[in-house]
Amino acid sequence: MQPVEIHEKIQNTFGADVAVFKPELIDPAIEIQPEKILEVCRFLRDDGDLKFDFLRSLSGVDLNDAFEVVYHLYSYAKRHYLVVKTRMNREEPSVDSVAGVWPTANWHERETYDLFGIDFKGHPKLTRLFMPEDWVGYPMRKDYVNPTEYHGIPCTREEGAPVTRHEVEGHPTVQQAMHEKKCPETMGFMRLNMGPHHPATHGVLNLLLETDGEILKRAVPDVGYLHRGIEKLAEDNAYIGTMPYTDRIDYLGAMFGNHAWALAVEKLAGIETPPRAEYCRIIASELNRIASHLIGTGTVSMDLGAFTPFVHWLRERETINDIMEFICGSRLTYNYMRFGGVARDIEQSTVDMILRWLDHFEPMIDEFNRLISGNEIFIKRLAHVGVISPEEAAAHGLVGPNLRASGVNFDIRRDEPYSIYPDLKFDVIVGEGFEGEVGDSFDRFYCRVLEIRESVRLVRQACEAMPAGDIQGKVKKVLKPEANEVYARVESARGEMGMYVISDGSDKPYRMKTRTGSYTAMAVMEHLSPGLLIADLVAVFGSLDIVAPEVDR
Amino acid sequence: MTDKNSETGPTIIEAQAYPGVIMTQVDHAVNWFRKSSIWYLLFATACCGIELMQTGGPRTDLDRFGAVFRATPRQSDLLIVAGTITYKMADRVRLLWAQMADPKYVIAMGSCANTGGLFQRSYSVVCGVDKVVPVDLYLPGCPPRPEALNEAILRLQEKMYGEHWLDKMRGA
Repeated sequence: MQPVEIHEKIQNTFGADVAVFKPELIDPAIEIQPEKILEVCRFLRDDGDLKFDFLRSLSGVDLNDAFEVVYHLYSYAKRHYLVVKTRMNREEPSVDSVAGVWPTANWHERETYDLFGIDFKGHPKLTRLFMPEDWVGYPMRKDYVNPTEYHGIPCTREEGAPVTRHEVEGHPTVQQAMHEKKCPETMGFMRLNMGPHHPATHGVLNLLLETDGEILKRAVPDVGYLHRGIEKLAEDNAYIGTMPYTDRIDYLGAMFGNHAWALAVEKLAGIETPPRAEYCRIIASELNRIASHLIGTGTVSMDLGAFTPFVHWLRERETINDIMEFICGSRLTYNYMRFGGVARDIEQSTVDMILRWLDHFEPMIDEFNRLISGNEIFIKRLAHVGVISPEEAAAHGLVGPNLRASGVNFDIRRDEPYSIYPDLKFDVIVGEGFEGEVGDSFDRFYCRVLEIRESVRLVRQACEAMPAGDIQGKVKKVLKPEANEVYARVESARGEMGMYVISDGSDKPYRMKTRTGSYTAMAVMEHLSPGLLIADLVAVFGSLDIVAPEVDR
Repeated sequence: MTDKNSETGPTIIEAQAYPGVIMTQVDHAVNWFRKSSIWYLLFATACCGIELMQTGGPRTDLDRFGAVFRATPRQSDLLIVAGTITYKMADRVRLLWAQMADPKYVIAMGSCANTGGLFQRSYSVVCGVDKVVPVDLYLPGCPPRPEALNEAILRLQEKMYGEHWLDKMRGA
């Protein structure tokens, strides 16, 4: 159903003055009165013709004189999308919470409260998500000024000398923890901190566990230990200057950040990309997907005690890194794509190298399966553990392999195609209860293994069909897109990587918001954890393939 | 005996009369043991963590220098700060450092840990981990290659070799 028809439907149900249609935007939006937002959202989810079962993204926007909350909706059932907005005054910004409609809104609203100070009425637990509890101010507001110091740490490089040993040893936090041995009060359940430094959390993620012996009452994710404020930094940079930051949103799949950003700005400024550049992008992206899944599947096995498969994958990954150096000059943070093209061409010698490596690599997948995927103990650790039903997966906003493992047959590459994916043949891997039931941890693990094979197929096809020609379209040196807004998304290794960009006609983006796969995968932990064993938590956590900076950004 | 053993290596006297017995200074021997068993903490915050992983992997293989990762700070000699440190994380880094056994060393790996790097204008990022814990070695790069981290470990070995840890323990 088209947005204009949905607008009419809303007007017919709620009255003409509730919704205003904005056709001038690239993704046409419907602006709703803030008092009515909860009712309208519930209607959008429940109506038989609409069925918006997936809240892709919820973003706050500071418009200088007002605040705006933007909801990006999608329907798996009907395969249509919608942008809903609501505007509120700046003095007392407040709007009804939609966490009861879509559970995934819970974290999105907490984030918006944390960074913009917008109050969501009726939210179950409206506390800061990323920033520390005692942080002052709301950083993403346009009038926010960075602090000069926080807990004695100066906030610029120039101020203050490096600390000495004695200063750290005498620091109150160290004194308290090491010498006074203060423990938190217990309330019948044992409370444990799993992280932010923990080998099984792959980076700085923290889970606060409440356990009864070995069984979890619940695990509450505590994030923000790697919140680097990329969205705010993007507002200070020119469009192309944000490209290196997008590498670091998801460092295991840096190419997807590049691609989403390039797609968003190209859509915004109406830039065409030559075909050869598209092929370069897809070859690089799919190689990157293989590299990312190698880490994803390898770490699951490592977390469960099998170190050897992980080392095998690290060895293969080194070769991908070599190829990436030939493609874009970098091993990890690629900064490869440009608006309307790519930074460097993939030469024939590199293509030959890729094809040679693929011939070597394909049998390695079987070897990996022999090593670990068929291992009895490994299967028992993963099968029937942490089962997510398709409805839960959609409601909690899971995306990518995590969603498909739950049996939802949806892949952005096929269902909302971009770049050259329509020309290439590949299968969408869906969980079918390979060893246990649909949506368990083994399905999530094994879907990734199978996706590696699909990516190999894609790279082969792209390498063979690569046309000659330019790798860079015509783009102005200083890019100043007209005032508009756009949401572009790509299928990253961890699912939907979406970029919501607002331009105001200047050379810098007015607002950039990233929607990432790990964010919702992390949020679902609290829902999944009750009743799990602590050891199973590690298995579930590993199978969701969460990368810390994607959660925190 | 001169102290410049970092360049010349330890003074070893092989006792001819007793085959299989060598004599050297305790300081040299201790330093040699120390530098050959640098256990580093498995601590990775951001992108550099992946390169840290690859450094421990099959190609660069830090194990051959006696450097293996440990999950707990109590057993580690070296904290490799691999990645960005935010204000929320700063307290935890301080605690990890305090829990490590002496003698302990810190490598600031990558631009973020050195100076804040790309993110130094951000509202939430510490501009260099040396504002939180003392740093022995700065390793530039965004992220540094595994070879670079390998080199850093070798430099750290040199530094360890030149120290008088026994003297330090007794006196200063």
